[in-house]
Amino acid sequence: MTTDPYAALGLTKSATAEEIKKAYRRLARTSHPDLHPDDADAIARFKAISAAYDLLKDPETRARFDAGEIDATGAERPQRRYYRDFADAPDNPYQQARGFEARGDPADIFAEILRQRSRQGGEGFGGRGFAAPGPDFRYALEVPFLDAARGGEMHLTLPEGGSIAVRIPQGAREGQTLRLRGKGGPGFGGGPPGDALINLSIRPHPVFSREGDNILLTLPITIDEAILGAKVTAPTIAGPVSLTVPKGASSGRVLRLRGRGIKRAGAKTAGDQLVELQIVAPPAIDDALRDFLTNWRKTNAHDPRARLLNEAAS
Amino acid sequence: MTDRLTEDDVIAAIPGLTRARLIGFIEAEVVIPIRAETGPVFRQIDLARMELLCDLLDDLDLDESALAVVMSLIDQLHTARQDLRALARALQSEPPEVRARIGAALRGAD
Repeated sequence: MTTDPYAALGLTKSATAEEIKKAYRRLARTSHPDLHPDDADAIARFKAISAAYDLLKDPETRARFDAGEIDATGAERPQRRYYRDFADAPDNPYQQARGFEARGDPADIFAEILRQRSRQGGEGFGGRGFAAPGPDFRYALEVPFLDAARGGEMHLTLPEGGSIAVRIPQGAREGQTLRLRGKGGPGFGGGPPGDALINLSIRPHPVFSREGDNILLTLPITIDEAILGAKVTAPTIAGPVSLTVPKGASSGRVLRLRGRGIKRAGAKTAGDQLVELQIVAPPAIDDALRDFLTNWRKTNAHDPRARLLNEAAS
Repeated sequence: MTDRLTEDDVIAAIPGLTRARLIGFIEAEVVIPIRAETGPVFRQIDLARMELLCDLLDDLDLDESALAVVMSLIDQLHTARQDLRALARALQSEPPEVRARIGAALRGAD
């Protein structure tokens, strides 16, 4: 199915109104279903060229299509988001060089300044001939959630063959850029090679999510665990740990596992894991439970919605 | 989480983007897709960038070999603007006399 109405009529964007009309008439003669009753494809063809002609015969809709305001079916295109809206964001992966906001280790900033200086005044220029550092190569890599949280190693396959090992630092952030010195293009005339710049993007995890250095998790518990309290096992990024559910816990209550979040390199304290409890009814409700709750209900009037309903009305 | 788009998604979303053109963009490294397990995926920023690239090629008749140079200049411009804003923010937290001195130096410079 062609989506370009000009192509449907065998024309290009520069066609005049007269050419559009002519092309349509010519195609209509060869594709009109009533003129070609035995041609099974005629209906689809005719539909496509009529739709194209409808769009292009009106100078106003044609102009709007050319400007990209409407698509080939005449539907409004979603409002375009311009590149500058993204480019000005601080996490723009296409950022050139490093600005003042170079994140992370301050030592990196000074190392970069020294590197730039050595590029300018380096040995190559003083001697004979021309030397310059090689170009930086840019990549973007999707990192599994846990590798980003705990640190890990990945391999980046290069377009020209081979691969480089990429060490993912503990607590790597979405949009963070790693610099692998000397892994870029070869230098010119004896100059040093450039760097590989790798922009990271974190793949979401089915169970864990992340807020800064904290890990968020929703943990299902049973009714009896909620009421009587219990010691249960909760997963963390470093493996399962035991967690005490306090007596009378409600759904939505958040328990904090201190220090079980992300420990970023250079950070003094690790983040926490925040466990939100969620009470889950048993898969099958037996007679004993039903009978007990039926009796319990008779003597225990407690309406947790009373305040809510009052406040909603006010 | 930002939504990710496949090659087919971006080709469908951008009028004027063909598969051959997309491959050209990637080879010229004016667009850098994320390498995911499932293959290359694109962010919204890549989409906006490719729309700009198509505009440069089609509406402004820019030569394909010039694309990388133009995009690099645009990226440098955005980085410089961010640096400038960072500098302005840093100055904002300085005491008034420091700001006045820097202000005077800037006025004297032109």
